[in-house]
Amino acid sequence: MEYFLSMCVIGLIMGIIYALMALGLTLIFSILHVVNFAHGEFYMLGGYLMIEVLKQLVGLHPLAAVPIVGVLVGLLGWAFERFLLRPMHQGKIERPGEYAVLITFGLSFFLINLALAIFGPLPHRPPAFFEGSVDLGVIKVASDRLTASLVALVLLLGLLLLIQRTWLGKALRAVSQDKEAAAVVGINPLVMNSVAFALGAGLAAVSGALLASTFSVEPTVGAGPSTRSYVIVVLGGMGSVPGSIVGSLLIGLVESFAVGYFPDPSRGLAYRSVFGLIIFALVLLLRPRGLFGRKEA
Amino acid sequence: MIRNVQLIARRGWEQASIFHQRFRQVIPWATALLAVALAVAAPQLWLGDYWQHVFAIAYFYAVLSAGWSLLSGHAGQFSFGHMAFMAIGAYTTGLLGRYLGLSPWLGIVAGTLMAAVVGLGIGLLVLRLRAAYLALFTIAFSEILRIILRSEPQVTRGDQGLRVAPLFGETLSRVPYYYLMFGLLLVCLALMMWLTRSRVGLYLRAIREDEDAAAARGVDVVRYKILVFVVTSAMAGLMGTVFAHYTAVLTPSILVLSQTGLVIAMAILGGVESLVAAALGGIIVQVGLELLREFGAWRMVIFGALLVFTLRFARNGLLAPVLERILGSGPRAESKREASPHAT
Repeated sequence: MEYFLSMCVIGLIMGIIYALMALGLTLIFSILHVVNFAHGEFYMLGGYLMIEVLKQLVGLHPLAAVPIVGVLVGLLGWAFERFLLRPMHQGKIERPGEYAVLITFGLSFFLINLALAIFGPLPHRPPAFFEGSVDLGVIKVASDRLTASLVALVLLLGLLLLIQRTWLGKALRAVSQDKEAAAVVGINPLVMNSVAFALGAGLAAVSGALLASTFSVEPTVGAGPSTRSYVIVVLGGMGSVPGSIVGSLLIGLVESFAVGYFPDPSRGLAYRSVFGLIIFALVLLLRPRGLFGRKEA
Repeated sequence: MIRNVQLIARRGWEQASIFHQRFRQVIPWATALLAVALAVAAPQLWLGDYWQHVFAIAYFYAVLSAGWSLLSGHAGQFSFGHMAFMAIGAYTTGLLGRYLGLSPWLGIVAGTLMAAVVGLGIGLLVLRLRAAYLALFTIAFSEILRIILRSEPQVTRGDQGLRVAPLFGETLSRVPYYYLMFGLLLVCLALMMWLTRSRVGLYLRAIREDEDAAAARGVDVVRYKILVFVVTSAMAGLMGTVFAHYTAVLTPSILVLSQTGLVIAMAILGGVESLVAAALGGIIVQVGLELLREFGAWRMVIFGALLVFTLRFARNGLLAPVLERILGSGPRAESKREASPHAT
């Protein structure tokens, strides 16, 4: 029982962090109808910028660097959306669906190689938020991971408030439901596209910054978190905010249990992401709109 | 008198233009023959060991790149798992050779068949998935395969590398591999071009433009989608088997996503709507990467930037328009113009 509970705790802790990244992807998809294939690279940039920011601003607490990283990558996301995705929504590009897949994939290719050229292929690690570990009763958790999870939780709640309670959130939801109708009442869908993409990119970068000290950063580090986010948003239903949160917690739990109860522990760890991917393949094949998806998705 | 002169002049002009037209028809064939002749003569005349190797690998990428352009550019099936089929071919022959002592040549057949069968399976599974969903599924497939290959080292040798027997005995010469890769490139390219120029090519483009409309007009969507999956997977598998016997050591890193990314970049830079351009894209990028070796990792950054630029401003690729200008407009160019009046 104790073991079971400890697996639950670990699963939920990771699930909350996954949710941050998955929510970014969801936000982008629900507003722009684009699957961001560079999402993992925003995560990777978040990790590297965390290291660089802490190097430049000596004495800054790592926690204070996280928002800076989020804003920087958010700006990059905004610029990318503004110059490379907006033409698509203005009807300047043929076969926009294909274009969206390829251009975000192209950005990912570019960013991975940029990181490789600047930082080299070896993993780097920023200083920890807090040393040591915290005893949660059933299991001891590294305080870094717990910190990341708590920050993620706060951010998630803040984001939900933003979406549900503010004018901006209302405008975003309006655009996601009906672009033309939103435009009629004076919301510029193009601006909302940029806002959503910047927010999504920023969220991915923040989760990268939060996890950099735990998992370290290398140029190809984004592949894991981004495929996991695809798993989550497809499981939860493309474009559904509650779906992606529930999906994250589910995937966190699935991974933790599968690893915890796999007969051969070291192999279980190696297969951690495979369990999610198998669920992913099944959902795609059997119920492509996921748990909470709209019918059209 | 004057009339006669006019008549003769007109006759001459007509004949010249007929000659011109015939000549234009000959240009593509002449260019192709010349290119083939140069490639065949190259190892004997100019290329040293090192460049023979570079070109052998370039031909390998050229087939993959052309295959991806058939699958994605022509049929609109966005697969990010192309290298997975290559790896299936490679590991099939590698493992069969290691555990059953199968000869490399039979291994090549087995690997190709295996890739075709898996391609058939995946093709059947993804029939209902479109655009981004298909891309996501193929990423998942490729990653699952890579993780399994890495995590079962007692079978696959994992990151330590699976040793594979050479095809042509213990020779150090690259020449036989050069010709084998080049021959396979010609065969695969010819087969794919024959496909795209037949009715099948039209069906595939119809499916790309609008699957439902194509189905409504009587195109057997299921059949042709699966056909294109099987053909391109088998070719990727075939190249994988030869690659395995050539490099002699296999690691799961051959199917990391950035390898697939490289193949896709080659196809896009060349031009996804033209198989020849995509294949040339593969060769030129690979050779270009070698030539720019002194720039180290930055050359990939340059290619990445070029890729994004190409996608945004030259959707038809950088080589395809050049080829079209040199060779005159082919049937593909025309159908493309019809299909997309708003070409960028």
